[in-house]
Amino acid sequence: MQMKRWLGSLVAVSLVATLAVGCGGNKDKDKGTAKGDFSVGLVTDTGGLNDESFNQSANMGVQKAKNDLKVDVKAQESKKDEDYVPNLTRFAKDKRNLIWGIGFKFDKAIPEVAEKFKDSKFAIVDSNLGGKIPSNVVAVTFKDEEGSFLAGVAAGLTTKSNQVGFIGGMSSPTIKKFEAGFTAGVKQANPKATVKVVYAESFSDATKGRSLAKSLYDGGADVVYHAAGGVGKGLFDEVKSRQAGKYWAIGVDMDQSRLAPEHTLTSMVKRVDVATFEITKQAKEGTLKLGTEVNFGLKDDGVGLSKNSKISPEVMKQVEEFKQKIIKGEITVPSK
Amino acid sequence: MLSTMTSLLETTILYSTPLILAALGGLFSERSGVINIGLEGLMTIGAFTSAVVSINTGSPWIGLLAGIVAGILLALIHAIATVTFNADQTVSGVAINFLAAGLTVYLVKALYDGAGQTPVVDSKFTEWAIPVLKDIPVLGDTLFNTSPITYIALILVFVSYFVLYRTPFGMRLRAVGEHPHAAETAGVSVVKMRYIAVLISGAFAAVGGAALSTSIGSEFSATTVAGQGFIAIAALIFGKWKPFGVLGAAAFFGFSVALSLTGQVWGLTKYVPSEILTMLPYLLTILALAGFVGRANAPAAIGKLYEKGSR
Amino acid sequence: MIGKLNRNSTLISSLISIVLGMLVGAIAMLLSGYDPIAAYGALFGSIFGSASDMGETLRTITPLIFAGLSVALAFRTGLFNIGVEGQLVIGGLAAAFVGLKLDLPPVLHAIVALVVGTLAGAIWALIPGLLKAIRGVHEVIVCIMMNWIALFLSNYMVGKVLSNNSDSTEKIHPSASIRVDFLTDLFDGARVHLGLILAILAAIFVYVLLFKTKLGYELRAVGLNPSASEYAGMSVKRNIIISMMISGGIAGLAGAVELLGTNEYLSINASLPGTGFDGIAVALLGANTPMGVVLSSMLFGGLFNGGNNMQYVAGVPFEVIRIVFATIILFVAANIVKQVGNRKSRKKKGENAGA
Repeated sequence: MQMKRWLGSLVAVSLVATLAVGCGGNKDKDKGTAKGDFSVGLVTDTGGLNDESFNQSANMGVQKAKNDLKVDVKAQESKKDEDYVPNLTRFAKDKRNLIWGIGFKFDKAIPEVAEKFKDSKFAIVDSNLGGKIPSNVVAVTFKDEEGSFLAGVAAGLTTKSNQVGFIGGMSSPTIKKFEAGFTAGVKQANPKATVKVVYAESFSDATKGRSLAKSLYDGGADVVYHAAGGVGKGLFDEVKSRQAGKYWAIGVDMDQSRLAPEHTLTSMVKRVDVATFEITKQAKEGTLKLGTEVNFGLKDDGVGLSKNSKISPEVMKQVEEFKQKIIKGEITVPSK
Repeated sequence: MLSTMTSLLETTILYSTPLILAALGGLFSERSGVINIGLEGLMTIGAFTSAVVSINTGSPWIGLLAGIVAGILLALIHAIATVTFNADQTVSGVAINFLAAGLTVYLVKALYDGAGQTPVVDSKFTEWAIPVLKDIPVLGDTLFNTSPITYIALILVFVSYFVLYRTPFGMRLRAVGEHPHAAETAGVSVVKMRYIAVLISGAFAAVGGAALSTSIGSEFSATTVAGQGFIAIAALIFGKWKPFGVLGAAAFFGFSVALSLTGQVWGLTKYVPSEILTMLPYLLTILALAGFVGRANAPAAIGKLYEKGSR
Repeated sequence: MIGKLNRNSTLISSLISIVLGMLVGAIAMLLSGYDPIAAYGALFGSIFGSASDMGETLRTITPLIFAGLSVALAFRTGLFNIGVEGQLVIGGLAAAFVGLKLDLPPVLHAIVALVVGTLAGAIWALIPGLLKAIRGVHEVIVCIMMNWIALFLSNYMVGKVLSNNSDSTEKIHPSASIRVDFLTDLFDGARVHLGLILAILAAIFVYVLLFKTKLGYELRAVGLNPSASEYAGMSVKRNIIISMMISGGIAGLAGAVELLGTNEYLSINASLPGTGFDGIAVALLGANTPMGVVLSSMLFGGLFNGGNNMQYVAGVPFEVIRIVFATIILFVAANIVKQVGNRKSRKKKGENAGA
């Protein structure tokens, strides 16, 4: 009897859903179609639009394009990895001219959708698709290792204990780039310093980030850099509970100094916004080269340290010198 | 060596505090016979409310109070559904989790212009050092110099034990969870006791959530609670539905996490990949359960519908 | 006559539950300045709006049916399989392994991958089953722990075994894929795959198993009253183990199907997929019956896929869907409309009797 009651309810639920389709169905067709002469679609990964990280930065770039170049812009968040393909497809069906997939997680979805919609242009951030870039796709990558190298220089020259720390999100090549560049920077600037590397195996567990930071600081480190998304929030919570001017944190992706204004040495800023704006602009003007990888590094201001920083002037001078050496090619920064 | 022990202990405390609180909440609810799968959702609403109210009032204490009220209100929905309307307790708990997850993120977006997280909670709980005790080596710097929420959690373990085992109220509450019909015959209102127990669980779990957003961390986002409510359920069962058992289980789990994290700083990752090291707390918990803890007996009337007069 | 009346009132009360759920969602939208009519129009318009939308809805429904069946089956034996999440991850991992590392002819390759995925899920569920049967350890804790272990194991395998130290694997060999052209073409390119048919078959399998076989009878008997079953000569331990393994097998198959049909590759993940938890809601809303699971998966999957479109067309945050869904679950579970009605009439009766 109990079961029957339940089943009855469900049949009813399904019926209503179907009925409502009949009534509310076709009304909204074409409503999503793009207006204006050039239109852009942006699909975030599961981090969402305002993740204070690369999704947000990417969106800032296309929003700037909306204001400066008068292009039509629409953004869509993905809730699950499985949503990437349908979300990209929606924009393609809307005949949007340029469709962005933000993050390396799109490395299978972009080629799959690009294959079906040959007339649309696609762009992916943070992946070169293993070198196999379709003819209607542009791959945008960043030399995260170069920016991290400068963060390493700043850390190596600021540390008093000659111990610095690195907190990674998940042990994957995307994050190893940050670790490799940072470690190289520390060693070059201060051969006596050691780098302790830890991974949270998460991008969201701030409690874990705080615990790892605690262990690193307790173990003697006085500057800690992170490339760990939400886990990194815990680093700032921990450093804030310690003596200012003695313990430092270095942020990543965007200027993170608001999380701990007195304790943030600097942030390794990744200008995804510069990249999304530039590429959108080129696409609109018809000068975009497709089927290639566009790599943003120190030279293009694609990566670098935040303007807002507590790095001392003497250290800053050396950071600048290293920066010039990298740009001139005198130093090659490892990425693995 | 001392600094290592300090790190280990501090991390253990950090990790166990929210677990103790949420699991104690679950303890009251389940001891009265109402399963509470909704701990995750109750923590979420507590974390969200206390973060937002702390930001707006500048006081983490007012934030905490508001969080408790929000937790109680959400738990009230669970109580009305399960106790008054005899809804399946697990279904209702799952719905509570969905509701909290949806509502809080939706409100963050609505309140902060589409943002994925609240602004930073500047006025958060800071450590309280307890005079004299704070000078004990290792313990003084960790257990006796920590967030007030941790003290609240520890005190609540003792209070819960006292209330459940030493007061008539506690006896009635346990009786309702074991033999509701007998209790009713003896003049105890099953409905009233279960309402109170479920509301207590909402309040406690909300404090656990507040610990995450205004003490350990300092913001609320969709991933602030991230499965801790379910670990708390595990701690509740691991602790055999007893206050000190819950304390032990949460501390055990926290310590295992601390070991796996501090192990990385020691350089263990040279020998064991960090993905494998990260499994440690979960593996240890299973081993401990299989090896030492064994059988767990839930309160007898848990999950069963109770209708007055029916047998 | 009375039966008919009852059924009608059930229908009406369920309809009201849905309307109430949507009303709550509408209020939330109105309060924050969104247009609920446009939002719901977009939501329902997309569920069956176009062939490809419908296809993506069916694709969303597929894993939910498996997950719901898995939870439901265990529930019938008195077990709370909160570990579907992990069993699903392991099933996907095993299928990825077969799909990438073995070279087999088409069809056979896919079958082997599906079978291995199913077995992997069953073995993953065997651990909590065994511990429950032998040591009396509560399956809920072991399952929760096994979920996280599955996640980290899968991440480790993706990086170190299935790829050359990368974030994700290559695509599986085409011979192992269960996407078929006629379904893809039928739904205008949507990723509908044979998994949908397997899900329906799984629902029939669970129905036959539970209600038409001796084993199913025993499983249900153990769920209803373990001590009486033991007295009647059934082995409670054996049934617990069997139930967990079948439940885990279905979950493993879900993971395999998602991998071989929807994604065709495996990547590292920072968090669990969530399908297992959705499965709990689906199973309970479907009253733990196979037919109920299929229906509630349709409601659930339709709302979720429609929610994406709602965000796209009307700009309303996806979270509204979670609120609406939670409210519908609560109202349906509490059968709130009917109960309020009953209470009123009972009260009236009481008053009348008093007077």
